[in-house]
Amino acid sequence: MQAAPSAPSAPSVTYNVLKRREAMIAYLFIAPTLVGFLLFVVGPMIIGIGISFFKWNLLTPPVFVGLDNYTRLFSGDPRLGTIYSTTVRLAIQVIICNIGFGLFFAVLLDRKMPNFLRNFFRLSYFFPFVVSGAAVAIIWTFLFNKDLGPLNYYLGLLGVNERINWLLSSDWSPIAIIITDVWKNVGFYILVFLGGLQGISRDFYEAAEVDGATGWQQFRSITVPLLTPTILFLLVISVIGALQIFDQPNILTGGGPGDATRTIVMYIYEQGFKFFDMGYASTLALSLFVIILILTVIQFRLSRSWVFYQ
Amino acid sequence: MSTLAEQRTTTLETPIQRARKPFQFRRVLPLLILGFGSLLMIAPFVWIIQAAFGETSKAFVIPPLWFPVNPSLDNFISAFEQVPFQLFTWNTLKIATIVTIGQLITCSLAAYAFARLQFRGKNIVFFLLLSSLMIPSQVTLVPTFIIMRQLGLYNTHASLILPALISPFGVFLLRQYFLTIPAELEDAARVDGASVFTIYLRIILPLSGPVLTTLAILTFVAQWNSYIGPLIYINKIELQVITVGLTLMRGRFGAGALGPIAAGIFMAVVPVLIVFLLLQRYIIKSIVTTGIKT
Repeated sequence: MQAAPSAPSAPSVTYNVLKRREAMIAYLFIAPTLVGFLLFVVGPMIIGIGISFFKWNLLTPPVFVGLDNYTRLFSGDPRLGTIYSTTVRLAIQVIICNIGFGLFFAVLLDRKMPNFLRNFFRLSYFFPFVVSGAAVAIIWTFLFNKDLGPLNYYLGLLGVNERINWLLSSDWSPIAIIITDVWKNVGFYILVFLGGLQGISRDFYEAAEVDGATGWQQFRSITVPLLTPTILFLLVISVIGALQIFDQPNILTGGGPGDATRTIVMYIYEQGFKFFDMGYASTLALSLFVIILILTVIQFRLSRSWVFYQ
Repeated sequence: MSTLAEQRTTTLETPIQRARKPFQFRRVLPLLILGFGSLLMIAPFVWIIQAAFGETSKAFVIPPLWFPVNPSLDNFISAFEQVPFQLFTWNTLKIATIVTIGQLITCSLAAYAFARLQFRGKNIVFFLLLSSLMIPSQVTLVPTFIIMRQLGLYNTHASLILPALISPFGVFLLRQYFLTIPAELEDAARVDGASVFTIYLRIILPLSGPVLTTLAILTFVAQWNSYIGPLIYINKIELQVITVGLTLMRGRFGAGALGPIAAGIFMAVVPVLIVFLLLQRYIIKSIVTTGIKT
């Protein structure tokens, strides 16, 4: 990794003392991080696995129930299938929209234009990303309002005569959540794609132009292949993020109507902090962890066949 | 040979030909699309500002208004009357500041050790820290809550601050930057008898302004915006933070009273907006570099 610091040309005894002292200092330096890491990352992971074998409502002592929570996870919970399929469907749509729109706007922004204009666009797209998900969701509950919301009003002007019941219909509420999420996050994707685009040498395009390649051909054969590392990065972190969507549905729809927009993290929250079923909530959390882990590993494996490193 | 030369002249001529044409729809179209997109991004904020400063009864009407009617601070006053918004703001500010300073200290110390010092177990510990980046924070929600409760920290700000004082991401970000600082600078100081801690404090930290700023911004904004933590750990209104406070306000006013809620949103967003506008070049750069390096 890192070359050892140049050994002072002193006798080896002193050198050993120095080396030991350096290690001591290093342990002191990493101590705060390590203690926090053990207490709040490793500890909870292990405790979580432990709790998953118990039934515990926090008020009475925990009762060991063996694999009951796991049996319930795999076969005894009629809501879980719906909730996971809602989560996965929302995640897929959010990821596709964010990556698609992100790439689209990044390519447009990468063209020649006055600097003030580019800065203005970049700022306006990125700003919602730094605003809290809670504030964004509250803003959108008003925008989505069926009777007084601006969205339905302008859709009406465009000829959509029926007032859409964005937050209370099971057809539209997932779309409302996707719109809110993309509005909030697409700026991040644009910025990362812009970074990737700036890393592509102009020479490739000049060479392609000499060969008479059209804009679309250049996009397909130069831009996209050279952006595949960026796409992989965004894909990995957006899968992790999108499977954990919580703020927006919790505030916009509360998971409803029925379970139409209830995500797995909302369900974990509900089981843990509304029904106080700590054991099952931990089991659900572990199932999400395993799914995310498997998906991440699969993505890295598959990436060997489609990601192109220069 | 001659054909190649011909081709070259034609390609050289194209930009000039393009420039000569006064107006080309194809070249303006991307700008129009971008402009329409940024209109969609900005409009909701404009509408909220209108509702925050305008007359309460006119805030939420059809057709929508884009400028405040009879501007006043009435909505802000009723926001403060309904919920202790000043406490929410103070709590959020306090927590975010402590967490940010804490992370700068813990992450920079650890990052320096990983970047420069030799010790047994270095690679394995670093690998463990890095792999924890893949653990979704929501997975440890329940057990962390139980730990906090056992420690007697339920309903205290410590339950929000303590877990956030460290950050594997921060360690990684700073380590990558420290590795780019030439080691010769430190060697010179070491020859002069400087201790490891002095080198860290006097050489590394002063040279790391940009990356420390980046980490500070990312941490502060994330903490300012956090929602699920306070929702779980804080059950007293006087200890609550802005994000949950806003949803409480919505509960009290009902979905109809946009004005005061918009005032609350305005107050929640403005500090982030100021930080963002002042330091945007750090934010944007950090997003791009972490995006590429990871």
